[in-house]
Amino acid sequence: MNKTHGVIKRQHLALEERIQALLAEFADSPSDLSEALAQLWQHYGEQLARLERITRLSDAYQSLAREQDNGLVVRFEKQLRQLQKVARISDRYQKMMVELNLALKEASTHDPLTGLPNRRLLMERLKGEVERASRDRKPFVLAIVDVDHFKQVNDTYGHEAGDAVLQKVAHFMKSQMREYDVCGRWGGEEFLALLPESTLDSALGVIGRIWQGIPDHSMDVGGRAVSITVSVGVAEHRAGEQWEDTLQRADALLLKAKREGRNRALSQ
Amino acid sequence: MQGDSYPENAFELFGEIIQWVEDYLAHSADSLRVELQLLYLNTSSIKAMMDIFDLLEDAHVKGCAVSVKWHYDKRNERLAELAEEFKEDCTFPFLIASHE
Repeated sequence: MNKTHGVIKRQHLALEERIQALLAEFADSPSDLSEALAQLWQHYGEQLARLERITRLSDAYQSLAREQDNGLVVRFEKQLRQLQKVARISDRYQKMMVELNLALKEASTHDPLTGLPNRRLLMERLKGEVERASRDRKPFVLAIVDVDHFKQVNDTYGHEAGDAVLQKVAHFMKSQMREYDVCGRWGGEEFLALLPESTLDSALGVIGRIWQGIPDHSMDVGGRAVSITVSVGVAEHRAGEQWEDTLQRADALLLKAKREGRNRALSQ
Repeated sequence: MQGDSYPENAFELFGEIIQWVEDYLAHSADSLRVELQLLYLNTSSIKAMMDIFDLLEDAHVKGCAVSVKWHYDKRNERLAELAEEFKEDCTFPFLIASHE
């Protein structure tokens, strides 16, 4: 290839030299032929220069385009990196929001002192339980557990001791109940035990264990033994009853237990 | 800057800020200190913040004394992790400070 190229170039060069020599030879005695040749020679030279200029320009454009391409690639890669980073950070913000929502939900449905379901969640569960009871015709049992003379505990040992007592009662109640039972803090020193798919007969075992177990479970509060008892009112849901009705009956029994001297569980 | 940011069009909100930072750094500035206490950012706000940090980075490379202090509530460590993500590609001083 190179060799052929070289031959052509040499022939080319030889032709150019010959024409230049001819033009020089006839410079003093020009003829039509030599003048035409001189014009052709000049035209040839101009065309050659033009061709070279076009080649140079074309090369320049090509390298410019290549540089632009490279620039685009660099910019594209930078944008891509940024996009990936934005997506990553955004995902983490979303995750944070989901977790905060969960925490918020937990906070709105649970009592911070005992960790038990609060009144709001208990009401929701009671509503659901009434629906289920009427659908499946299986009653549930509701028990209200109230700490006796709780005010005295607070007054004698201080509020921190009172809080500790509530935590221990909560823990003990929960430990005595089944996985699907609900134990919650109804308010103050009042706890609620909701036993789905239960009758008074089947529930009294659990309720009895709670009532009898709490005094035995003598509370060690800050190094001092605090002995407490509880009063309990227990009611079984009756067909057609709203949860408020069942709760009211349990509450009336609790009141009766208090009046009869406390430390007892009454059922109906 | 402080607070949550989740506008529908973050560019409307951040466009002016980005412009200001750009102008300030291009003309008068030999230093710029940015104090942030950001909570939730939506995706386009994240992009806008990254654009601002890019401007700061460019200025820093050119010798301008830029710095960022990102404050966060100690109770939410996740905000610190997110600040770390933003900090990742920045070579200028970027302090992440917790508050009680």
